[in-house]
Amino acid sequence: MTPLVEVRDLVKHFPVRGGIFQRQVAALKAVDGITFDINPGEVLGLVGESGCGKTTTGRLLLRLVEPTSGRISFDGTDLLALGHRQLKATRAQMQIVFQDPYASLDPRLPVSEIVGEGLSNQGMKDRRQRDATVAEILEKVGLHRYYLNRYPHEFSGGQRQRIGLARALVLRPKFVVADEPVSALDVSIQSQVLNLMAELKGEFGLTYLFISHNLGVVQHVSDRVAVMYLGKIVELADSVDLYRSPKHPYTQALLSAVPLPNPREKRQRVILSGDVPSPVNPPAGCHFHTRCPLARRVCAELEPPLELKASGHLAACHFA
Amino acid sequence: MLRLERLQTYFKTADGLVKAVDGVDLALRPGGILGLVGESGCGKSVTALSILRLLPRSGHIVGGRILFEGQDLTAASEEEMREIRGNAVSMIFQEPMTSLNPVFTVGTQVAEVIRQHLHLSDREVRARVIEMFELVGIPDPSKRVRDYPHQLSGGTRQRVMIAIALACNPRVLIADEPTTALDVTIQAQILELMRELQRKNRMAIVLITHDLGVIAEMADEVAVMYAGKVVEQGSVDQIFDNPLHPYTRGLLASIPSLAARGRPLSAITGTVPHPLNLPPGCLFAPRCPRAFAPCPTAFPARMEQGAGHDVACYLYGDRASA
Repeated sequence: MTPLVEVRDLVKHFPVRGGIFQRQVAALKAVDGITFDINPGEVLGLVGESGCGKTTTGRLLLRLVEPTSGRISFDGTDLLALGHRQLKATRAQMQIVFQDPYASLDPRLPVSEIVGEGLSNQGMKDRRQRDATVAEILEKVGLHRYYLNRYPHEFSGGQRQRIGLARALVLRPKFVVADEPVSALDVSIQSQVLNLMAELKGEFGLTYLFISHNLGVVQHVSDRVAVMYLGKIVELADSVDLYRSPKHPYTQALLSAVPLPNPREKRQRVILSGDVPSPVNPPAGCHFHTRCPLARRVCAELEPPLELKASGHLAACHFA
Repeated sequence: MLRLERLQTYFKTADGLVKAVDGVDLALRPGGILGLVGESGCGKSVTALSILRLLPRSGHIVGGRILFEGQDLTAASEEEMREIRGNAVSMIFQEPMTSLNPVFTVGTQVAEVIRQHLHLSDREVRARVIEMFELVGIPDPSKRVRDYPHQLSGGTRQRVMIAIALACNPRVLIADEPTTALDVTIQAQILELMRELQRKNRMAIVLITHDLGVIAEMADEVAVMYAGKVVEQGSVDQIFDNPLHPYTRGLLASIPSLAARGRPLSAITGTVPHPLNLPPGCLFAPRCPRAFAPCPTAFPARMEQGAGHDVACYLYGDRASA
C-alpha cells in the first residue's frame, strides 16, 4: 500500500531572537528530524506532553508552517515543491480541526460563512449553491440546517466542535489533521464527538492524524500511535502493541502515569523526576536521558535511531 | 469534621438567578479524601468557594449550613473566616499560572501566609519557607524562593501553590482541579506528593476534578454532582463497581478504553441543561435513558442503597413501583 502521507527527516526550528537588533540568538527545535508514513484510511495517533512538537508536526503536514528542512509527500506529490496556486488546490484535500472550539471560530461570522469559506476559496461563488452544500454537511455532523444563520456564541462547546468538523469536511478532503479535537470538551460530550468522527471517517473514507495529550482517547481511536518527546518520535507502533508492551522508557512512564478509572487496579508507577528540558537546548545524545530511569553513559553521547524492535514496532532507545 | 447541609449558593446575573449549588449535603471525615466529580458548570468549584466564603460578589450562600469542627462557617464573621482560611482550611486552585502574583517572588508569597497565621520571627519565617519548599520537592529551595512565578515551570508553580496551602498545617485541604493544567507525568508527581503529605500530616482533602481516573486513584469517598445537586455518593469502590445513578453510569461508560477499541463509545445524549432554564423534577431526566413517569414531577430525594451509598433517583427505593 502506498502511504497517503510520507514524512522524511522533517525539521522545524523556530528562531529565538534577542539583543537590540533582534538577531537570531538560538533556535527552538520544535520538530527535530522525524520520519513516518500515514496509510490511506488509517488513524495515526500522535501523543506527547506540552511542547513536544506534536501541534507543529500537524501544521507542517498541511504547510501551515514552512519546515526548515525535510520532505513531505502527500498522495504522491511533493508538497514542499508546490507553488502557491497548486498548494491551494491541494489544500482542498487536507484539512484541520483545531483544539479550542471557542477560539477557532470567528465570532462575527454566521455558520454558513464559517463553513462555506473554504468552498468560496475553492471557486464555488454561487451563494445559494454554497449554502446548500453547507446545510448538507451540517446535517452530516448532526446539526440542523436551521443553524445556518446562527453565530458561534449561540452554540455549546460540543456543537462548536461539530461546526469545526463541518468546516474541515465541506471540501470532502482525504486527510484531516485533528489537533486535540476533544480536549476542551466534557467527558459526556467528548464521547459524542469521538463517535461522530469515527462515523464520518467511514462515510467519507478519511485518513486522520489524531493529535492529543490524552492517552486514553488516542488509544481508543488510533490504528497506530507515535509518541513524541522534545521534537523527536521515540516510539511508533500498532496501537494495541504500544499500550500492551511499550518499549521506550518514556512511553512506559507516560502510560504508567495515566490514572486509571478503576480503584482496584494499583499499578507499578514509573514517576519521572524533574521537568521536560527546554527545546532550545535539548540534552545531547538521547533527549530523554536526563529523566530516564535506565540511562547509562552511552545515552548521553549517542543519539539512538528510531529502529525496528519487533514486527511493526519502532523505538528509539539503546536498551529497548 | 467538615459537613455541608443543604447548601444553596445562588448567583444573581443580568439574565436571572443561577442556582449554581442547590441543596448539597456532603461530609468529610478526618484524614479522608472526598472526591467531587462532575462536568463543567455542575457547581463543584462553587461548592469549594462557598466553604471558604470566597465567592465572587454576585454569588451568595442563601441557605444551608457549612459546619467545620462544629462551627457554622456561613454565620462566621469575616475576621473569623480570615483566621480559618489558609490556616485550618486551605485551598489549591486549578491554574498555577494565574493564582500566583507575578510581581512578588514565590518565597514572599509563601511567607505571607505564614506571617498571617503563625507568630514567628523573620528568620523563623524564612526557615519555614525553605522547609516547605523542601517538603513539596522543589530542588535547590534556597535559590528558588527568590524566583518569580514566570521563571518556574507549571509543575513547580503548582508545588509552590501546595507549599502555600500547607504552610500552616491545615486540617482540611480543598484542591480544585489541582492537576488539570499539568501534563500526565507531572500530574503523577503532584498526586503522589499530595497523597504523601496527606498521610504525613493526617489532613483531610476535598478533591475536585472531572477526571474519573484521578478520583479512582486518590479518593476514598466520591460525590457525583450534576447541575448543582449531588446525585450519588458512596465509597470509591461502590461508585466504580456498582454505580447506581444513570448519570454516573453514563460517565463511567463514556471513558475510552483499550477493550472497547474500534467500537463506538457509549455516549450520554444531549447536553447539560442551561442554568437559567433547568428542567422540572430530576435535572438529568431529559438526557436519561431510563427516565419514566415520576422523573419530571419533583427532584428525587437521596435514598440510602447499602451502607454509606446513596442515590437521588426514582429507579431505586419503593417509589420505583409507584
